[in-house]
Amino acid sequence: MDEKQGVIGAAGLVKEFGDVIAVDNISLSVGEGELFGLLGPNGSGKTTMIKLLTGQVRPTAGSAVVLGLDVTKDPVGVRKKVGIIPEQETPPSFLTATEYLDFVGEVRHITGVRKKADWWFDFLDFNDKRDVLCKDLSRGTRQKLMFTQAFIHEPALALIDEPLINFDPIMQRKVKDYLTEYVRRGNTIFISTHILEIAEEICSKFAILHKGKLLHTGTVAELKGRDQHLGEFFLSLVETGAHA
Amino acid sequence: MLKLFVNMMKEEWRVHSTMFGSLSFALFPVMIFGIAFMGSFLLPLFRTVVPPGYLSIIIHAIFLLLGIMVGGFGLLGMEVMNRRFGQASLLSYSARSLPISEQEIFCTFVVKDTVYYLVLWVVPFVAGFAIASPFISVPLSLSLLLFLTLTLSFLTGLALIFFLSTVYARSKRVFAALFVTLLTGWAALYLVAGINTVALFPPLQLFHAFSYDMLLAACAVVIIPSAIAVALFTSEYTDTTKRFKNAIVPLTKKLSFFPYPPLAAKDLIDLLRSGSFIGQTLFSFLIPLWLLWFLLSVLGRFIPPGDVLLLFAILTGVIASTMYTWLTMFDTFSSYTCLPVGVPALLESKICSFAVLQAIPAAFIVLVTIASGGVAYLVPAFVLCLSVSFYALAVTIWLTGLSPSVLVYDVKVLFLYLILVGIAVLALIALAFVNPYYATGSVLLFLPAWLLVKAGFTKWEIQDQPMF
Ligand SMILES: Nc1ncnc2c1ncn2[C@@H]1O[C@H](COP(=O)(O)OP(=O)(O)OP(=O)(O)O)[C@@H](O)[C@H]1O
Ligand SMILES: [Mg+2]
Repeated sequence: MDEKQGVIGAAGLVKEFGDVIAVDNISLSVGEGELFGLLGPNGSGKTTMIKLLTGQVRPTAGSAVVLGLDVTKDPVGVRKKVGIIPEQETPPSFLTATEYLDFVGEVRHITGVRKKADWWFDFLDFNDKRDVLCKDLSRGTRQKLMFTQAFIHEPALALIDEPLINFDPIMQRKVKDYLTEYVRRGNTIFISTHILEIAEEICSKFAILHKGKLLHTGTVAELKGRDQHLGEFFLSLVETGAHA
Repeated sequence: MLKLFVNMMKEEWRVHSTMFGSLSFALFPVMIFGIAFMGSFLLPLFRTVVPPGYLSIIIHAIFLLLGIMVGGFGLLGMEVMNRRFGQASLLSYSARSLPISEQEIFCTFVVKDTVYYLVLWVVPFVAGFAIASPFISVPLSLSLLLFLTLTLSFLTGLALIFFLSTVYARSKRVFAALFVTLLTGWAALYLVAGINTVALFPPLQLFHAFSYDMLLAACAVVIIPSAIAVALFTSEYTDTTKRFKNAIVPLTKKLSFFPYPPLAAKDLIDLLRSGSFIGQTLFSFLIPLWLLWFLLSVLGRFIPPGDVLLLFAILTGVIASTMYTWLTMFDTFSSYTCLPVGVPALLESKICSFAVLQAIPAAFIVLVTIASGGVAYLVPAFVLCLSVSFYALAVTIWLTGLSPSVLVYDVKVLFLYLILVGIAVLALIALAFVNPYYATGSVLLFLPAWLLVKAGFTKWEIQDQPMF
């Protein structure tokens, strides 16, 4: 396998919900060690794309291979290997934060989950919330917990959906640094966001979705070479895309 | 407040109708109408077997029961529902941020629920009967009266549950005292003084002899408990700083004989911490069954007591199967989608937890059998109850997967459920009445149950989970 190939390979993915075509014939590939940004306006199909790639919904057509596994044939196998932050952060209401991480540890068969959890409680600064029920946590704290849950088993690939949206600027900084460091260690991250500054700052490659269609894939370095900002580029693309 | 009400109504409609299309949902009352309409033609037939007074008792009791069940599912699950249907989208939840008192929100919520279920269940039922009434030579005025008294029965059930559950939420001790008082009061009247307490039920009295005094009394029975409930209502979000000791690891170890110990441990913790374990056992199991027993004891005057017991065992089985909803109401599949857990695994785990919960109906039916002096029927009653429960569970799983309490409002689903469970129940009743020991043949239901569950696993693995 090519060094820069094969962590994610999607071919002609289509997902329809009734009349809505949420994802419309998308093919893309993500290589090892990339921090890949999936960008697009609200309702463009980012979340659906992540759900397809993690076997949470079945494609209407097309196929995808993630870490060597077919997502339609072995969705549970894929989810064993990757880490996921879903769009709506929903840790189970009646477990405490610690219990939820222990639960994840049991389900994922993680050894030494307690120690790892301790590190995360410190790192994301929510030690005081360990024994509080998830239903009573603030949105930001829930997001911290979901972030921890996605990375605690140090997956080779993490697919994260708007992971920074509820964080304050200090926490955002911390998490962005964590993500860049994480890919530097050889892991891969697939992040969806519509906050373009974040994408511009941390992503190596990006794809722009609009109404379910893939408008563009490219590298941030390319843009920088042309002295163009991702924001302008995105707007011009989406506007012409909207007229096309 | 009216605006809030209208918005809540819209919200409810939207939540339900988007889930299975507005048509399928709008057909729900149509189906109830159809059942009532066709059922009415059986009435002359019933009349030849059932003495006239009993039929009205049965219908009123059914609507009282319906009110109790709706109240039990609706209100105890209120917080759960708020969560499930999305914190962001549900108006009754976001209403907390509006400049209205909690009491008002709660009050509107109750009124909304009432109107909603009235339109969904009571109105179509009575309409079906009313349309059929000319054909079976029942005066139309009787249908109108029936509409009034059935609505009141339904509301009495709702009010009772709202009242009891707010008391329960306020103070478990007061609740226990109240519950015991009610029970002993009833026992004193019925068992000791020998007064037929059924006949005292205001809506029923109203039906038998209309008078404005009685109407007032019947309304008071609805309004007074509801008013107290609204007054007593407080926010459930008072104990936000409560901390809990880690229970998941020790429980997972203890439950290691389960196929998926952590999932089972989570189910148990959910049940205990949410207070649903005791709450649901009371409100959606014991109280409905108590009422059902009451209802059947009326039948006891013209079918042998042993048969009544077996009938009761079958119905207990059907109600016991709804314990599955206790396990599925806390989280939809979406809270597992970031974990390597497939739908079949989750279903299998819920079935095991369900099996453990069946200790409740099992113990219950044994106690009832012994207490009613029907020890000879112990084995058939026991077998019947559990086989019916597991069979109905299998039907539920096949039809609704992990979302039973939502998909039940899909007409197709409810229709199939009624057919599949109905046929089995009728067949078993027939068998049991011929010879109690034939009823033990109900263990054979485990075969179709097993097949249905297998089919359900495949079905719900392929199908996208409805996301709320
Ligand atoms: N379960 C579903 N049923 C029906 N339609 C859906 C479902 N999930 C998504 N859609 C539709 O698919 C389209 C894409 O939605 P998706 O959530 O993937 O967008 P998104 O890019 O993540 O948007 P956002 O930036 O707002 O999160 C939208 O039109 C949405 O309404
Ligand atoms: Mg999204």
